[in-house]
Amino acid sequence: MPVIVLASPKGGVGKSTCAVILASEFARMGAMVTALDCDPNRSLSRWASHGLPAGVVLRGDIGRSDVVQAIREADGDGRIVIVDLEGVASQLVSRAISQADLVIVPMQPTALDAEIGSEALALVKEEEEALGRNIRHAVVLTKTSAAVKSRVQKDLEQQLHDAGIDVIEPSLVARSAFSELFAYGSDLTAMMNNPEMITGGRVDKAIENARAFTEAVYDRIK
Amino acid sequence: MTGSNRLGGLVARPKPSTADDVRKIDEVGEARGFVDRTPRKKPGRKASPRTYQMHPKILPQVGEAITEEAEALGLTQGQLIEKMWQVYLRAMNSPENDRSGA
Repeated sequence: MPVIVLASPKGGVGKSTCAVILASEFARMGAMVTALDCDPNRSLSRWASHGLPAGVVLRGDIGRSDVVQAIREADGDGRIVIVDLEGVASQLVSRAISQADLVIVPMQPTALDAEIGSEALALVKEEEEALGRNIRHAVVLTKTSAAVKSRVQKDLEQQLHDAGIDVIEPSLVARSAFSELFAYGSDLTAMMNNPEMITGGRVDKAIENARAFTEAVYDRIK
Repeated sequence: MTGSNRLGGLVARPKPSTADDVRKIDEVGEARGFVDRTPRKKPGRKASPRTYQMHPKILPQVGEAITEEAEALGLTQGQLIEKMWQVYLRAMNSPENDRSGA
């Protein structure tokens, strides 16, 4: 089953949020998901500490020396592996990318995110050449506005398209429900059904966005 | 999990994971600044948990005997005293040494 790696040398772009959304939505679709937390900030482990959705198992504290082995152990029929990485340029990141069936590079629609995120895209290309293996990769824009597409976002999307880079549609909109997943654990459906979980935002819209994003990722791994 | 599992058809694909592959990956990564950033362990000897300092004055021949015995056993004098203390505790707790008067 596919190994999906969330990579960007920049922190705070939404790697862990993407990882949580994909893990919980693929599990809801019926897959057995293994989420690997390779980020020293332990975002996925914090999410898991509040409760995991059915169908998701988490392995934490994975470092440079054991990332290849951990992915190999988790990879196999009947399981999707989702790897959340640290937001730095490290050997841990380059090793994880080498094991990917799909590398997703989350970027906020800013010039800085695009510039630093492009380092991950360049690394994927070079690993493809060195290993003689095609590693599918795509960018997802994160924390975008629900109301209007900014000029910067339009320009960035155009630049990515011109460079022949696959951009996942839809982008992930800035939704408080996504952030609150780390406070409540589990998934968006549980959040929707539990009135005690207060997000201050539209959970139904967040679910709609998460499902459409996961379907777009599924199209790239099937 | 809900609904039918339409993801069942997804299959695992082989990945490059030999030592040679990993070396190649590291070289490519390092050339782009993706270097080993594993936190280094603090250098030097680990701090000893033995922090209590005793100042006993004992007879010279006893002191010399303890010093020689510790050296022969490959222990510090403090470790030997800890062993002696364990022996003392066992002796005090043995039935022969019952001081309750029963």
